[in-house]
Amino acid sequence: MIHLLNISNLKKSYSEKQVLKGVNLNVKKGEILGFVGANGAGKTTTLNIITGMLDYESGVVEINGLNQTAGLDYKKQYFFIPDTVNVFKNVSGLDWIHFLMNLYEIEENNKLEEYVQVFQMQESIDKPIGTYSYGMLHKMSLIAAFTINPPIIIMDEPLNGLDPNAVVVFKDLIKSYVDQGGNCNLFNTSFGYRGKNLYYGCHFKRRQNYST
Amino acid sequence: MKQFAILTKKETLQFIRELKIVWLPLAFIFLGITQPVVTYYLPYILEAFGGGQGIIIDSSMKDIAGNEILASTLESQFDQLGVIIIVISMMGVVQSDKANGMLGFILTRPVKVESYISSKIFSNYMFVAGSVALGYVVSYIYTNFLFTSIPFTSLIVALLFYLLWVLFVVSFTTMVSTFFNSQGVIALISIAVLLGIRMIVGLNPLLDRLNPASMSEYAKEALVFADIDMSVVWSVLITLLLSAIVMNFAKMWIANKKYNID
Repeated sequence: MIHLLNISNLKKSYSEKQVLKGVNLNVKKGEILGFVGANGAGKTTTLNIITGMLDYESGVVEINGLNQTAGLDYKKQYFFIPDTVNVFKNVSGLDWIHFLMNLYEIEENNKLEEYVQVFQMQESIDKPIGTYSYGMLHKMSLIAAFTINPPIIIMDEPLNGLDPNAVVVFKDLIKSYVDQGGNCNLFNTSFGYRGKNLYYGCHFKRRQNYST
Repeated sequence: MKQFAILTKKETLQFIRELKIVWLPLAFIFLGITQPVVTYYLPYILEAFGGGQGIIIDSSMKDIAGNEILASTLESQFDQLGVIIIVISMMGVVQSDKANGMLGFILTRPVKVESYISSKIFSNYMFVAGSVALGYVVSYIYTNFLFTSIPFTSLIVALLFYLLWVLFVVSFTTMVSTFFNSQGVIALISIAVLLGIRMIVGLNPLLDRLNPASMSEYAKEALVFADIDMSVVWSVLITLLLSAIVMNFAKMWIANKKYNID
């Protein structure tokens, strides 16, 4: 069986400092994987390598059996939501989502409208993104991600800046999306959370990377 | 090709929303008007301010041919202040995307680096070229009205040569914007190099053949002499080649992931 995401013996150094010392992890469809660890442990570095923003020294990084040499086919396997959503502030959220859908060659469908309602963005989706709050930016990104529905949705620090209620809503939405057949999620956070488990944990520790 | 179209549309929308579509054409219209109007009214302006103070105004200034006035619009207005305005309007073309994370955001989508760079250069070139052409046409109208008419063929040939120079200006500035992270440095280097290569036109015939700024000189010659040496074809090809080379440098820089700002 091809794992949706396969990372094997991934190594990466910055100058002489080895940040990733052989990361191994596999993710199957329908799983939600969280990277948990302190600052500097290598979480964002791993995400940046998966998304092609950073090169790596050795190891295997594959999504659906494809690696970065597959070019655009590899990039269509994931949707990345960075920690800071920098978008063109003078366009509406809807225009921005359409722009992303066009890049992924996703035709217009009903899912967009459904997710706009699920995320309660009906009033604001047509307004300029510059008027959005931090939480609304994240919601817009999730609407785009869920509408495009790639094999993997990757999120960097998605809980940053969200109030406690918003955190609960966010987690419920992720779980609901996956439970309804959405593809797997991979996200990065500096802290675990108590209570209802959402994800399988992948713990990053400084000077010692391993997965559980 | 589809990505190129999508990204070009995004860039165009950005020009509109940032009102660049208003101020850049206006700037070139102003530059276009300046030369014919100032040249025509200079004697009156000086007289109104108390006389020439020793300056001798040649009364035959009003008899200057229109093609010479338009050529001087290109040489003194567009080639100096015009180039500076183009560089300043474009210095953040890639740098701002690096700084605000947009470059990383775009390139983590199914987008080729070639599509990103070519859409940037194409949309900016079309916009800048349109603004320059608009300023040039306005200058022609004023020149036609205040001085003498200009043969249509000379007008068009000169514009085409000049737009080749503009292509190199746009491509070079985009490349510099890709390499550096500070808008000040980008502006300084771009202006220094572009004005520098413009200044050395005419010093050496061989160098002129290789110098993209010669296109501006050929534009001037097309207006003034209505005649161009056919060897200019080589210069045209070299300018196009150099423009393609700098675009490729920009693309390679990004493709090698040298764009991350720490």
